[in-house]
Amino acid sequence: MIIQIDQLNKSYQKHKALSDISLTVQAGSIFGLLGPNGAGKTSLIRILTQITEADSGTILFNGEPLNPKHIYQMGYLPEERGLYKKMSVKDQLLYFAELKGLSNKDAKEKLKYWVDKFEIKSWLNKKVEELSKGMQQKIQFIATVVHQPKLIILDEPFSGFDPINAQLLVDEILLLKENGASILFSTHRMDSVELLCDHIALIHQSEKVLDGPVKELKNTFKKNQFEVKYTGNSLGNQLYMEVVNTHEKHGVVTQLLNLSAGITPNQFLQNLLQEPIEIVSFQEKLPSMEDIFISAVQQRNINN
Amino acid sequence: MHKIWLICKREYLTRVMKKSFLLMTLLSPLLIVVFYGFIFYFSFKKDLAEEQKIILINDQSGLFENKLDASKNILFRYDKMELNSAKILLDSGLYYGILNINIIDLDLQYELFSHEQPGLSMLAAIEGELEKVLKDQHLGAKGIDAGILKELNAISVKINTQKITQTGTEKSDSGSTTIISFIGALLIYFFIFLYGVQVMKGVIEEKTNRIVEVIISSVKPFQLMLGKIMGIAMVGFTQFFIWVLLVTMLSGPVSSLVLQLANIDPSALATGSKELSKQEGLTDLLSGFSQINIPLILGLFVFYFIGGYLFYGALFAAVGSAVDNETDTQQFMLPITMPLIFSIAISQSIINAPNSELAVWLSMIPFSSPVIMMIRLPFGVPTSEIIGSMACLVAGFLATTWFAARIYRIGILTYGKKPTYQELFKWLFRKN
Repeated sequence: MIIQIDQLNKSYQKHKALSDISLTVQAGSIFGLLGPNGAGKTSLIRILTQITEADSGTILFNGEPLNPKHIYQMGYLPEERGLYKKMSVKDQLLYFAELKGLSNKDAKEKLKYWVDKFEIKSWLNKKVEELSKGMQQKIQFIATVVHQPKLIILDEPFSGFDPINAQLLVDEILLLKENGASILFSTHRMDSVELLCDHIALIHQSEKVLDGPVKELKNTFKKNQFEVKYTGNSLGNQLYMEVVNTHEKHGVVTQLLNLSAGITPNQFLQNLLQEPIEIVSFQEKLPSMEDIFISAVQQRNINN
Repeated sequence: MHKIWLICKREYLTRVMKKSFLLMTLLSPLLIVVFYGFIFYFSFKKDLAEEQKIILINDQSGLFENKLDASKNILFRYDKMELNSAKILLDSGLYYGILNINIIDLDLQYELFSHEQPGLSMLAAIEGELEKVLKDQHLGAKGIDAGILKELNAISVKINTQKITQTGTEKSDSGSTTIISFIGALLIYFFIFLYGVQVMKGVIEEKTNRIVEVIISSVKPFQLMLGKIMGIAMVGFTQFFIWVLLVTMLSGPVSSLVLQLANIDPSALATGSKELSKQEGLTDLLSGFSQINIPLILGLFVFYFIGGYLFYGALFAAVGSAVDNETDTQQFMLPITMPLIFSIAISQSIINAPNSELAVWLSMIPFSSPVIMMIRLPFGVPTSEIIGSMACLVAGFLATTWFAARIYRIGILTYGKKPTYQELFKWLFRKN
């Protein structure tokens, strides 16, 4: 476990930012902190990065109570981010690395790896203001990870990234994970991290609504619904299925349906093959993160 | 400590390596030297180059004829004619101006006609000549010998100030002390202003660049603030040091060049200046300098220079952190700059009464003490007061640094609306 948070509370003058948040981040995993804007994600991250302090609760980093020396093992890409415009790329990256505890010599060595990887050698002596936006984003990312942190914290990492750099970011994140780093994400765009995250926590109005491995959550929240696409006349309710809704576009019928009790997908398909239609596709309909979030919030409201 | 050093280094290097810094630092002393060279040049050149001007005295009274003394620049001719024909004479170009002297109801009236507006010094010179003639005539009328008057006028009293100290009495000189006072006070004033504003701009830059959160995930806001203040102070010292060096190096060659250009023989200047009646005052001034405890003043200058900058620098940093852009700083700058400007504005009264109650109080309050102390020091300040003032300044900058750090840590992460004073006050006591 790289991070273990227990009963964390934080409030500002009039509003509560975090109430009794507990969660754990497994070492070597990608953890997604999801929730709408203002839910408390950034507050939590700022406590982890020791920019602010919690009112109560404990945080363990690698089993030790969180303390200032852990800062060196974290890389943080805040939502509000930038670079010194008048500074050269090289000086800037070395400066950040040294602030993260590397010696000048080590910093230069580590930097070399990223320079080769992103092919930015010719850019090193340019000032940041001379760089394109996409280029600056790359530099910003390097600055976050150049000191080889054990934990990489990315607050809304894709905001402001163009699609190409966003994909690059995803690739790099997966590679960093492969090399043993743990990654903590925060985003309000829930769909964007579904595929990336091993584990997620949903935060809503300062409270943790839900957390768990992505696969598990999807299974818990799935409604045993299937989606079938075919050409031909649309079917009504049958003995083996109950139609939830039907759409038709360009002659292709898309139906969302529940299988009748005791019917397996195989039996369902066998029945369907008897119908006067051409099947285009058939798949289990898993809930999206957004769906899960909405049902979890609804459930919580009912419970309260 | 290592991180403060890293930040300090970055602040220093990014500023010192800028072309504008190099340009400013190298050009400013050159400009200053050239500027004074020009003044110097023209003040000597003027006498040589200015053509003589002839004034026609159209004297209806007959009182002045052939009695005005010509000077280097002004010659007088005399005549008595109708004003209109005199004016026509002016067109001939022979005369610079026509001074028409008339008697109306027993009063003398003077009118100068010319094509150009005559300079003030010229007018003063002519007026002086006229007055001299009138005075002599009055003296004659009252039966007073002009020679006696000259003797009377030659009587002058000069008080030599003697300061009683524990070791005996010392000769002191108020002129030189005043000069040292002003120079020291002004330097501190400008240094605090120039570099304090740089601190503020630096903080705002980090905020608008949105880089600040990246940084403070690695260092404490306090370290960032302190590193910045120290780095900029070092920039200031570097600039100051280079200026002193360059001005000293340049002033020699430039002044000899100016003398050459103006066709003045340096030795003539030296002998010429001996004739100056000011010479006595000048030696007094120079000996006055030697009476002042220069090492003490220099040492304290450095102390107040640094102390004052740290005191104000922290406040400037706090202002920078509280706002998003420079236009919003006005409101918060005012209470900070007021005491500084006030200290300079009041300096004349402090010089007049360097040991008054007001002066003592102002040299204790850290807001004004760097400037006021510099003004008072050359006049001699009791050791107890110096120590008190230094202690207050140290306590003062610890206090402003604490105060600024409290505002800074909240301010740098707060965007949007400009905070009110009330909000700033709340920030002071908000927990992190």
